[in-house]
Amino acid sequence: MGGAEPETDGRRIASAARDRVRFEEEALELADQVYRVARRLVGSREEAEDLVQETYARAFRSWRSFTPGTNLRAWLFRILTNLNVDRGRRIQRSPDFQPLEEGDYYLANKLAAAEGEQALDQERVVERLSQDGVVNALAEVPHDFRDVIVLVDIGEFSYAEAAQILDVPIGTVMSRLHRGRRILKQKLAEETLS
Amino acid sequence: MTEPDPCETCEELLQPYLDRELSPDEHVAAERHLDGCEFCKRRYRFEVSLRRYIRVSASERMPDGLRAKLAELREVAGS
Repeated sequence: MGGAEPETDGRRIASAARDRVRFEEEALELADQVYRVARRLVGSREEAEDLVQETYARAFRSWRSFTPGTNLRAWLFRILTNLNVDRGRRIQRSPDFQPLEEGDYYLANKLAAAEGEQALDQERVVERLSQDGVVNALAEVPHDFRDVIVLVDIGEFSYAEAAQILDVPIGTVMSRLHRGRRILKQKLAEETLS
Repeated sequence: MTEPDPCETCEELLQPYLDRELSPDEHVAAERHLDGCEFCKRRYRFEVSLRRYIRVSASERMPDGLRAKLAELREVAGS
């Protein structure tokens, strides 16, 4: 049976190579989504490109630690957010202050005050906020809150996935999201309606 | 004790309502109020459009060439 072993090894190597190629292909298919979220976590396009490249370099190196059949997108973002924290690249450093925030109707109330209550019924009322204004307002949200908004509202991750990616309890995701969206609306009002 | 203003309650329930995170009782309470309140109904609809608009506005396409650079990382890693 001397010939059996090399053949088994050969098969194992071939099978690992196939797993690896499949892993790499699946990861590359997610590149658009990874970039879209990364872009809003950091301050510039160049930083986002660097962050995505570092993420993929690390992911390709440590592909064996990914369990096939589990959530690859969340796994990649776990790497990405860790790298981002390590590099201190997030737009703002941890603020200790607790920002004041208005209620959830704040922005709508402002628009209604400026344009009349009926304006809120118009289909395109939100387009009065410029797209640049939205991007700038988002960048002004303190990063702990912004990271959650970006993952859930732009990356379309569930609360549970965001909790896994950021390594915080799900309750923390929910409270940061809730407060972060309020802060964002306040910033949007300042940014685009002043 | 005074009853809370229903519109204030609705403002508190807006996000969990849209995220489908309300308890069944809270959900019924929110729907009952929304049925009769134009003020809140407008603001709920506004929030739905706003969220969609934020997602679209904040989404930037991947720069040309990045995909190829990522694919190259794969070949380096494979060597």
